[in-house]
Amino acid sequence: MTLSILSVQLLTGLAYGMLYFMIAAGLTIILGVMNIVNLAHGTFFLTGAYVAFSLLSNQVSFWIALPISVAVMAIVGIVIEKLFIRRVYGKELEQVLLTFGLAFIIADAAEWIWGTEIQTLAVPSLLDTSISFGTLVFPVYRLFVVLVGCALAALLWYFETRTRIGAVIRAGVDDRAMVSALGINVGLVFTGVFAFGAGLAGLSGVLGGPLLGMYTGLDSEILVTSLIVVVVGGLGSWRGSFIGAILIGLIETLGKIWFPSLSMLIVFLIMVVVLIIRPQGLFGRGVTS
Amino acid sequence: MTRQIQMLLLLVIIVICAPWIMTQYGLTLATEIMIMAIFAMSLGLIMGYAGMVSLGHAAFFGIGAYTVALLGPLLHNVFLLVLCAILLSSLIALLSGMVFIRTSHFYFLMITLAFGQLLFALFWQLKSWTGGADGMKVSVSMDLGFGDIFSPLGLYYVMAVAFLFIYVLLRLFVQSPAGRIIKGVMENESRMIALGYPIRSYKLLAYTISGGIAGFAGALYAYYNLFVSPDLSNWMFSGQVMIMVIIGGVGTLLGPAIGAGLFIILQNFISSYTERWSMIMGILLVALVLAGKGGIAHWFAYIGSMVRRMRMKKDTRTKPKEEEVSD
Repeated sequence: MTLSILSVQLLTGLAYGMLYFMIAAGLTIILGVMNIVNLAHGTFFLTGAYVAFSLLSNQVSFWIALPISVAVMAIVGIVIEKLFIRRVYGKELEQVLLTFGLAFIIADAAEWIWGTEIQTLAVPSLLDTSISFGTLVFPVYRLFVVLVGCALAALLWYFETRTRIGAVIRAGVDDRAMVSALGINVGLVFTGVFAFGAGLAGLSGVLGGPLLGMYTGLDSEILVTSLIVVVVGGLGSWRGSFIGAILIGLIETLGKIWFPSLSMLIVFLIMVVVLIIRPQGLFGRGVTS
Repeated sequence: MTRQIQMLLLLVIIVICAPWIMTQYGLTLATEIMIMAIFAMSLGLIMGYAGMVSLGHAAFFGIGAYTVALLGPLLHNVFLLVLCAILLSSLIALLSGMVFIRTSHFYFLMITLAFGQLLFALFWQLKSWTGGADGMKVSVSMDLGFGDIFSPLGLYYVMAVAFLFIYVLLRLFVQSPAGRIIKGVMENESRMIALGYPIRSYKLLAYTISGGIAGFAGALYAYYNLFVSPDLSNWMFSGQVMIMVIIGGVGTLLGPAIGAGLFIILQNFISSYTERWSMIMGILLVALVLAGKGGIAHWFAYIGSMVRRMRMKKDTRTKPKEEEVSD
């Protein structure tokens, strides 16, 4: 493999990694604060992409469709949290089962509305070019996804360390009962966190649409990959997800080139190795029980 | 114990007599139910008796089915072939369990899910062996030593015997000292650690047995369906089996089998009217969870205890001095 192909593939891997980070960040925040493995997360991702697809088909610009899709998914998140998850607070298995049932329902509804054909989102015309450095040609859209991922990481860092909301959420991960005893409305925090996670899934769905396309079954692929990212990175730690996602994105992309039939196995083996060496994940603070 | 023997006798009678009142289609369906009941009981064992919630149990089902599919042309002895499937799936359950059981329940759920998808991807991607997404035909014959069994009725009885066998086996395991220790670990892990039990070994034992039985169900499925595809290891299939267990009742042995029966009957019935079975299944799960009343086996137990309580109330009323009756 020549250097030029390798560097382009590295960028692709990085772009996928950033996409996985955006998805896993939502998953890991929900897991950390609310103690829910949101099995509908991949479905949120796919639905977000489909919503943008419908808007784009109606001549709405990509830059308007993006925030609308995010908002739609955040609202879906609020509704689900208030209508369903709130009823089984504190029952961990029931919460997971609920998200599982909702994943079935939403995925089937999406199939009903948008069909089973493979669709793809058009790359916005502004970014539909490539930059060349000598012989190296980089698609701009992938660079853009990497930038958005980095910006999101910076924003999360700022919120987590410098704002009151971030402090509440950090405290919520550590000791939920104490946060509630301090007079903070935990119900509101939970709704907010779930909506935020769903919105992030929607965002990554729209950004991932041009890279991955949309098809039945993508939701579970995305869910599994982001679960692996969360396990590798560590529970409730978005920093861990950031590193884990880049790692998984790069290894998966390169693995697909060198061992096309074993790419999934390689990603899985990385997870197993991490689990054996550090059961709490690379950046986790300990396994909760 | 006598109640359990009565229960078993009832089960045997139902299983033997069932074909007399069924159509040809019903018989095929009942055969499938027997296989899925074995699979659901294997998941029910680790979910209800060891507290391990797996969303990747179809991995072992797939291993069992593909073992029969791939080794079928080489090994003609049914017993040997099925034994291979059981041993291989138990071995993989043992090895994977050694890593998975180190983690707590959420991690366990996520990791088993990823493991199931890994096998799904392998069956999908190793196209030269498994035929990839198209699946592969299984060329085997159910010859148990007295001729090839290919009639639906014969196949039904083979699967029914397998189901009863697994039921008795699991009943004995659950009541054995090891089974009781495993249940103790689920109910109070720290106490069992304090009592000096090597809890990981016991959990691993349950997981390995469960994986082996799931592999057995997969092997039987290959004989029944004569066709295998990667979907047998997909997490959606794992999820369906989990729904069977929940419909039937977590923490009971026969509950998952009842759940499997109801699930497959519903699936066939509803699918003939609408394509939206998957949505209805989701609604069913959400409703069951929100109702919070457990599964069918729990309802029976609840009704049973209600009847008993009413009888007791009647007894106390006849006595001159009324006493508080508590359950």
